[in-house]
Formats: sequence, C-alpha cells, structure tokens
Amino acid sequence: MSPLQASCPACGATVTFKTGSSIVVVCEFCHSAVARGDRRLEDLGKVAEIVETGSPLQVGLRGVYNGVAFELTGRAQLGHEAGGLWDEWYAAFANGAWGWLAEAQGRFYFTFQQAVGGQHLFPPFEYLQVGQAVAAIPGSLTLTVAEKGEARALGAEGEIPYRLVPGEQHRYADLAGPRGEFGTLDYSQPQPLIFLGREVTLAEIGVAAARAPEREARRVQAHQLSCPNCGGPLALLAPDVTERVTCPNCGSLLDVNQGQLKFLKALQRPRVVPIIPLGKTGEFEGGRMTVIGFMQRSVTFDRVYYWEEYLLYNPQIGFRWLVRSDDHWSFVQSVSPGEVAVSGKRAVFRGKQFRLFQDTAARVEYVAGEFYWKVTEGETVRAADFIRAPEMLSMEISVGAPAQEPQAQPGATNRQRRKTAYVAPTGEVNWSLGTYVKRSDVEKAFGISGLPRPSNIAPNQPFLHKKIYKYWMLLLALTFVFGIVVMATGSRREVFRATYNDLKPRTGPEDSEVRFSEPFELKGGQNIKITAEANVDNSWLAVDGDIIDQATGLGQAFSVPVEYYYGSESGESWSEGSRSSDVHISALPAGTYTLAFEVHWEKWQQPAAVTIRVEQGVPRLIHLVLALLAVSIIPILIGIYHFNFEKRRWADSDHSPYGSS
Amino acid sequence: MLSKIYLAAGILLIVFYGVVAFTGKEFGDPQRQVVPEEARKSAGGYRSFHYWSGYRGGK
Repeated sequence: MSPLQASCPACGATVTFKTGSSIVVVCEFCHSAVARGDRRLEDLGKVAEIVETGSPLQVGLRGVYNGVAFELTGRAQLGHEAGGLWDEWYAAFANGAWGWLAEAQGRFYFTFQQAVGGQHLFPPFEYLQVGQAVAAIPGSLTLTVAEKGEARALGAEGEIPYRLVPGEQHRYADLAGPRGEFGTLDYSQPQPLIFLGREVTLAEIGVAAARAPEREARRVQAHQLSCPNCGGPLALLAPDVTERVTCPNCGSLLDVNQGQLKFLKALQRPRVVPIIPLGKTGEFEGGRMTVIGFMQRSVTFDRVYYWEEYLLYNPQIGFRWLVRSDDHWSFVQSVSPGEVAVSGKRAVFRGKQFRLFQDTAARVEYVAGEFYWKVTEGETVRAADFIRAPEMLSMEISVGAPAQEPQAQPGATNRQRRKTAYVAPTGEVNWSLGTYVKRSDVEKAFGISGLPRPSNIAPNQPFLHKKIYKYWMLLLALTFVFGIVVMATGSRREVFRATYNDLKPRTGPEDSEVRFSEPFELKGGQNIKITAEANVDNSWLAVDGDIIDQATGLGQAFSVPVEYYYGSESGESWSEGSRSSDVHISALPAGTYTLAFEVHWEKWQQPAAVTIRVEQGVPRLIHLVLALLAVSIIPILIGIYHFNFEKRRWADSDHSPYGSS
Repeated sequence: MLSKIYLAAGILLIVFYGVVAFTGKEFGDPQRQVVPEEARKSAGGYRSFHYWSGYRGGK
C-alpha cells in the first residue's frame, strides 16, 4: 500500500501514514496525534515531546523477529502512576502484523495482540490480584500477575497501531510466565485485550548491531544540577533513569522529572552512613557498577531489625543491589515473577526449591542517592524471603493507590459484596534473587578494606564444608572396596599346629610347664596369628612365650590367655570367655622359627592340655572397621557443627524446621 | 579448604591401611629381644629368662 499523505488537522503540515494499518501518526511539527478514520483525519490532541531515555532504539530501525522482518514505526511514552515512564515501540511486520516492544529498565519485551474467543473472560481489573494466576491462553498458558496499575499516554512519535489519545489513562496488568513469557492485559476497552510474547534481547531481534557502538559508548556520567531547596551542587550519576535523588548538602528528597529537580521533603539527618560511599565503583558480573543509591530498611519482630541496600548501576548491565545485613553481603538481581512458583512455605525457581524464612512488612527507613522509582521514607511493602544457601529468593509486594470505587462482580452474593468492599489496589510483585557474597569479595570489588566481620549466620550463608560429605561417601566406598580386595586376596595358611596333652600337675600356681616347639617356616611380610585352645572348665590357662628366629635368636614375645566360665544366676544361665583364644603379631623376617613358651593353668593340681596353632596372612576385619571409623571421624564432627550452623541460621525465623528458638 | 584437606587425609589413610595390610603390620606388639642360647635350650634357662606376667584369669 502506498503512503497516505494528508494535512495535519491542527497545523496544516503534511503528515504521512507510511504503514497501511497504522491508526495514529504524530505530527512532527505540532506534536498532534492525528488519527485516521473512515472519512477524515481527527486531531486527538497534542502529545508531549519525547523525553530522552537513552534508549538504543529509534523510529525507523529495522530488525527481524522469528524470521519476519519488521520496522519500528512509532513510539509512545507511558507514565506510571507511581512516577516514571517507559517506552513502548511499535513494530510493523512485513506480514502485516504489529508487535509491541516495551522497554523498561534496560529490558525489552516483544508482545503481540492475541485473538481471544468470546467465551473466554479475563478477570475484571478490580478483582485481579498481584501474584494471581491467569489463564492467558485457556488450557495452554497460565501466567502470573506481576503488576497492575494505570498508565497515561504522555509523549509519542511516529506511527502507532491504535488510537492513542494524549493524556488518556488506561489500566493494565503485566503478566509473567515461567519460561520468560510476558504478557499484558489491557483494560482500556470493555473487553480486555491480551498481548503475549516474551522478554527478548536486542541481538535476538536483530537490532543490537545498529546501535551497538552507541550503547557501548554509554557510561554513567555525572549530570550537574542544583538543589532547588538549598542551591547546592548535585550530580546525577544515572540521569537517564533516576526518578528520585537526595541532596547531599541539605538532605532533601527531590523528584527528578525530565532532568528537572523538584523539592519533595526534607529527610531526617542520616542515622546511618553508607559503608560504601555513593559514587564508588566496583567490579561485578564482569562490569564496573556504580553505587548510585543507598537505603536503610527495617522489619519489626520482637525488636526492629535493620539492613542496608546499595543500588548499583551500569548502563549495559542495568540495576543490581548489594545488600548488607548483619555485616553479611548479598548480590541481588531481579527475576521474573512468572519464573517463581510458590506453594505454602516453598518456592520453586528454575527447578530449585527454596524454603520460607520470613514473611513480614519491610519499611524504608532512610534513603540517600538516586533511585529508579519514586522511593519515599516510610514506604512499606510485604516482603517474604525464601532461602536455599547461598541464594535467597525475595518477594516484595507493593500496594499502590486505590484504582477506583469498589465494585462487586455481577451476580455476587451480599457476603461476597461485603468481602469485596475494598477497592482492588494497584500494585506489583517483584522477585529478586540474592547470592551470598563473601566480605572479602566485596572489599576486593570496591578496592576497600576493613568491612566489619559478621558475628552470626546469615539466612543464605553457605555452609562451606558441605563437600566433605561427598568426599566422605567416596572415601567410605574406596576403603570398603579396598578392604574387601585385601581380605579376598589374603593368603591365609597354617604353618604350625601341635597339641600338648601331657602337661603334668604342678607344684604350685607359680610353677609352669616350659615347652619348645618343632621348627616351622615363616614368610616375610605376613602377619602371624597364634591360637591357643584348651578344654578349660570354669578356669583359665595361659600360654606365655616367644616366637624365636632360629638363625638370629631374635624373639617376639606373645601371651595367649584362655579362660571359660559359665553358670546360672537367678535362673538365667551365663557364660564368659572361650576355650579358644588368639593373638596377632606383626610379620617377622622370613626364616625358621620355634616357639618357646610357659604354660600356667588355674587348676595346677590337675594335668592339662593345650593346642597351639600358628597361621600367617590372616585377613583382619578389625583393620577395615578401624579404617572406616577413622575416615568417618572428621565428617561426623563436621556434621555436628553443620547441625548447629543450621540451627543458628534459622534462629531468627518464624518458620524454622528446628522449632522455635 | 577443609574438604580438600580431609580428602587428602582420607587418601593417606587408605594408603596407610594398604601398607598395614600388605606388610602384615599389627599394633601393640611387645618389644622384640634376642633370646639367649641357654634360654632356647633348657626349660630352666627359659623360665629364668622369660618374664611371666602372673596371669590369674579374668574371673
């Protein structure tokens, strides 16, 4: 279709509809939004000039998405009710379709309007809850309400595929899915419109290269302004994105609107000084990030607990947080609400399960520096933390202003009407993932030293010795297998056996029978087991002697007592000892040996008999058991320490698996 | 760090176990000593050489 040229109904300048299906074009001369109807052009009113947001996109930029070429024909800047604005770009595809490319805080979301059957009804805006699951495509795609609010059309340029009325407000809900899906429910019409798509990168849509050098060139640069309250100098470190800033001279909280500062209120003098100064840069995630904001926040349980949050910014990376709590540090980045599934006290994120640690109201106590949203002291959100060390998944639900008068759903009972007598608030749910950072790593990142040492266990502090359990299992298995091999390959053999059944009665208990054995051969490197067997009956017999090398005369002493007692007591029979006993001695050098030994026995008045047996290469189960125990000592001690570590970790939680502290 | 030290110590322990097993080492052996010629030849000589602990049974 050839471009349609016409005169602007407001100023008479030529306006051109290059795209056949566009509805509105913004007059380049008078900034009127000009809509085309069936018969004539209509002036919808003047839009504000586009505010420079530092976007890498521009009208006229071409790209390819899912194999179809597109061109960005227009852009609208929409104002958030909480302040701030975001860009919405309109992409005309070669196949006649339109795409909505939303840009907020350095992220891009490509969505497309979906045709929904008349049977499918989306929940009315008033009943929509942040965090609620919504069937975006019945039966196939369920998304989570991440944010609901009101947007106002502020500025615009180029061609737009819908009837954009300057200043008109409309309600919307942003939806997020578990695999990066993104959607918007647009309540500007009686039947809500749904736009579905996903988060994309500029590379994915083929426009990264177009502005890459310029993006690369962007840096956090100080933008010098004067405080409207005290006149003191004030530097904005992230002028493109800052919505609120505090004056370092008088402590006033200032609103940032298109580079202009407006005094909001005087803040209390700082109760706390940021331990990392504002403006300091540190190396994180492969990029240098600047500390542009500082907040002190609190929760109240039995007392008030404070923590600090440092807002980090890099134009290429976006925003991150560094959180200091009880002198523990975490590096935090936001995640899509759709990626998190909560069930009771569990949250699942990317296949990992997190456990609820606390769920309470968090309050902003003090702010300093710059922020990308309209922060105020006293701002309170519902905050819930789920932990899986070293990570912590945090949910914050903020509640905005009431959207409109209370409305009950058609057909609601009186009870339901009473129950829904509250206006459904606007608000948003934000999820973030914090990863524990060692104090030394924070010091290294910022090139500082002397950060205080923590004195307790952080909720997401990793237990550093967990690997020991893996090694324990490995060593147990190795030891066991090795022990089995040792015992299976042992060359057990009997080298001597003799029975002495002619031991005559002695003259007294000290009098002994001395015997010398026949010689026998021993191999080197094999242990020796000497066994004595005697038919003792409620008595003992002891064999004490030496195993003597015939060649050198070197003797290894040994002692084998045999005792066996039995009887009955209170009707129960008992026995103790055995009629056979043995002793193990270390290997001796190979050679010819004899035994020389004395025999004593308890009933010396009577004759006695004893059998002596010598074996070599006897497998020793006790050695395997001792080795397994030795391998286990450290892990067992670590396990006890680990248990106490976990107990201390959960000490401040109302949801401790270890019971109340 | 502790985990690695433990792993190294555990491997050394297995090696030690192997050394014990393959050299026939036992623990708690009494001291070895040369038995004099006369003690190896006669009961009286051995009785005077050998120290008897005076075992009296365990009951």
